[in-house]
Amino acid sequence: MSMTIKAAGATALIALSLSIARADDGVPSNTVRVGLYYVHYHTSADDISGPYVPTGLNLSVNDVETLYLAYVRRISEHFDLELAAGYPPLTKTEGRGPATLGSVPYNGQVISTARWFAPTLLLNYKFFDDSHAWRPYVGIGVNYANFYDRRSTAAGNEASGGPTSISLPVSVGPAATVGMSYHLQGRWSLFASYSASVVKSKLTADTAGEMRTSHISFGPRALVVAAGYAF
Amino acid sequence: MSIRGPFYFAIAVVLLTACGSNSTTSEVATSSARGTLIQNPPLRIASLDAAALTAKLNVSASGQQLLELAQTPTCGVDFYYIQYWTVGGANETATATGALMVPTGTAAQCSGPRPIVLYAHATTTLKTYNIADITNPSNTEGALVAAMFAAQGYIVVAPNYAGYDTSSLSYHPFLNGAQQSKDMIDALSAARTALPQTLSAATTDSGKLFITGYSEGGYVAMATHKALQAANQTVTASAPMSGPYALAAFFDAVFYGDVNLGSTEFTPLITTSYQKAYGNIYSATTDIYEPTYATGIDTLLPSTTPIDTLFEDGKLPETALFSSTTPVTGNPTLDAALAVPKNPIFALGFGASNLITNDYRVNYILDAVAHPDGAVPVPKPGVPLAASPQNTLRIAAKLNDMRTWIPHVPVLLCGGDMDPTVYFTLNAGTMQAFWAAAGLPPEAVTVLDVNAAPTAQDPFAAVQVGFQETEAQIVASQGEEAAVESYHTTVAPFCTAAARGFFSQF
Repeated sequence: MSMTIKAAGATALIALSLSIARADDGVPSNTVRVGLYYVHYHTSADDISGPYVPTGLNLSVNDVETLYLAYVRRISEHFDLELAAGYPPLTKTEGRGPATLGSVPYNGQVISTARWFAPTLLLNYKFFDDSHAWRPYVGIGVNYANFYDRRSTAAGNEASGGPTSISLPVSVGPAATVGMSYHLQGRWSLFASYSASVVKSKLTADTAGEMRTSHISFGPRALVVAAGYAF
Repeated sequence: MSIRGPFYFAIAVVLLTACGSNSTTSEVATSSARGTLIQNPPLRIASLDAAALTAKLNVSASGQQLLELAQTPTCGVDFYYIQYWTVGGANETATATGALMVPTGTAAQCSGPRPIVLYAHATTTLKTYNIADITNPSNTEGALVAAMFAAQGYIVVAPNYAGYDTSSLSYHPFLNGAQQSKDMIDALSAARTALPQTLSAATTDSGKLFITGYSEGGYVAMATHKALQAANQTVTASAPMSGPYALAAFFDAVFYGDVNLGSTEFTPLITTSYQKAYGNIYSATTDIYEPTYATGIDTLLPSTTPIDTLFEDGKLPETALFSSTTPVTGNPTLDAALAVPKNPIFALGFGASNLITNDYRVNYILDAVAHPDGAVPVPKPGVPLAASPQNTLRIAAKLNDMRTWIPHVPVLLCGGDMDPTVYFTLNAGTMQAFWAAAGLPPEAVTVLDVNAAPTAQDPFAAVQVGFQETEAQIVASQGEEAAVESYHTTVAPFCTAAARGFFSQF
C-alpha cells in the first residue's frame, strides 16, 4: 500500500470517528471560505528522455495565483474537516536546459500549459478553545490532482518537432497545512495558512508517435489568505 | 444541518471547472496503401538555421572538409522523420521510414517553390540506420546531403529503405530494383503529402525532381529513374553515383575472381533479398555458404550489431569470399582463371575461412561460361545481358540489371575508376556502352571519373582536382592501403558535389 493511499485512508477513518463523536455545542457547523491561493512550485523533474532528445533537457513550473474556495465542517471544538480547492489555475511549464535545440529557443520558453483540478481534504486540529479569537491550527490530509486542458504551446510544438499531445496522469498524495484563524465577529472569520502537498506525475509528450517522458515532482507550496462565513 | 448538501455542492463546483480538451498530436493514417504517410504531420527531429548548421559541421574535421566542398550553407534545414507504407521484395505490405529535409530561411532560394532531390543512401549493415537523425554524429551521409543539397535550397527526400530503422520488414530487399524503386517513389509520395503540413510549409514543391544516390543508392537512383519514366512521372535529371548498375556483369566478375571490398557483407544481403523475392536462390543456406557461416546467415544482415563485432564473433569472414584452394572444374583454362588472383586487392577475397563454397562458385561459373554476359569476361558489342542463364542467382541478377532501359532526360554517372568496392568502368562504362549501342545520343549521358585528369573545358575539373588532392593527402598521411580501403567513401562527397553542379543546369 502506498503512502498516499495510507494517508487518505487514515484521514477518512479519523474523520468518520470524530464525526460520530461530535458534540452539539451550538456553534455553527459549516463554514465556507473564499480567498486567494499563492502557489509556489518546488519542481524537480528527471531530464526528458525519448527519441531525438539531447541530454540535459528539463522543466520547471511557473508559480500561480488563483481563487481559493473551501468548505469546512466543524467536527468538534478542536477538529475541522476542510475540503479546499482553488479555481483550477492555468499552470505554465517552462523549458530548462540549453538555450536552443538546434536553432529553436528552449530555455525559459513556456512549452506547455495545463489546468489543475486539485482539491485537498484536510483534517485540522485547532488549538485553544472557541472563546479565543486567534486560533492556530495544523492539518493533514490528502491531495488529488487532475491535470486537464493540457496543451503544448506553439513554442512547445517548435521544440518538440510538431503538434504534441501531453499526458499527465492523476496524482494522489499526502498534504499538510499550518494556519491561523481570527474570529472577526458574528459568523465572520479570517484565515491564513501555508500548505504543502506531494504531487507527482509522469509527463508523456507524444509528437507524431514519438514519446518523450519525464517524471515530475511539482512540490506545490500554497499560501492562502481567506475570509470565512459560518452557518 | 447535514454535511451532505454543502459537501456535494463543493464537489460539484470544482468538478464543473474540470472540463476541457487537450492538445492533439499528428493524425495516424488508416490506409496502408503504398506511399501513404503514416504520421501527418511528421516529426521534426531538428531545426538548424544556416549558422547553426555551419557550426555543427565545423565541429569535426570531416565536417570542415564537407563545408569546403559544399560551400557555406545559404539556407537553414529542418529535418523531418517520415514514416510511410511501401512493399517488400515479395510485394508484401511493409512500413518504412526516411528523411524529409526542408530548406528554411530568408534567402530567396530557401523558401517558396523549390526542387526536390530524391536521394538513395549507400549500403549500411546497421539495421538502426536513420538518415533523418542529424543529431547522430555518425550520420555522415545525412550531413552530406543536408549540406550539399538542402542547405543550398533543395528539398531532400531520403528513405532509410524497407528493413531498416523501425520498418516492419524483417529483411532488406537489397539491390532489388523493382522493390527499391517502389520504396523511393513511396517515400517521395509520403514526403509530398507531408510538406504542406510541416512547420516549414513556407517551402513548397516546385515540381522539379532530381534523383541521385551513392553505391547501393546509385543503383537505386537509376532503378527509380527507370520506374518513374516507365510510369510517365516527371524526372528532371538524375545522377546515379558509384552504383552497380550492370549487376549481372558485376556478379560474374566477382565470381570469376575480381572480388570487391565489402563482398562478404554484400553477399548475404543479396542472397537473402533474392531468396525472399524469388524463393529459388537456395534450398538451404548451405547450398551457397560454408557450414561455418551458413546457420543464421539469412537473417544476419542488416544487424543491430556493428559489422566489426560480427567479424570478431566469427559470424562472417572479413574479406574471404572464396576459398584460397582453387576449385577444380575439369577445364584447365577455367581452373587457372579461378585461382587466387595476382591483384592484391582481389586476392583479399580469398582465404582459408571463406564464405562461399567452391561447389557453388563452380556451379555459378560453369553457367557463366555456358551463358556468358555481354560485358564479362570479354565485352561484346552492345554489352548485352546473358541470353538464358540457368543459375538462379544469375537469373536474379539479370532481372535486376539496368541494361533494360534508356533514359529520356539527362543522366550523370559519377564515380572513381580505381574504386575497389563498386567497379566504375564495369558498371558506368557498361551502361554508357549499352546506351550508346541502343542509340542514346552521347550528350544525354555524362560519365564523370573523378580520378581522371581534368581537361581545360571540363565543368567538373574542380571536383576532379579536389578528389585527387584528397586521395594524395590520404596516401601521404595514412598510406596506400588506407587510401584503397577508403576510396569508395572518399569519392562520395566529390561525386555529390558534381551531382549538385549537374542539377543546377536545369
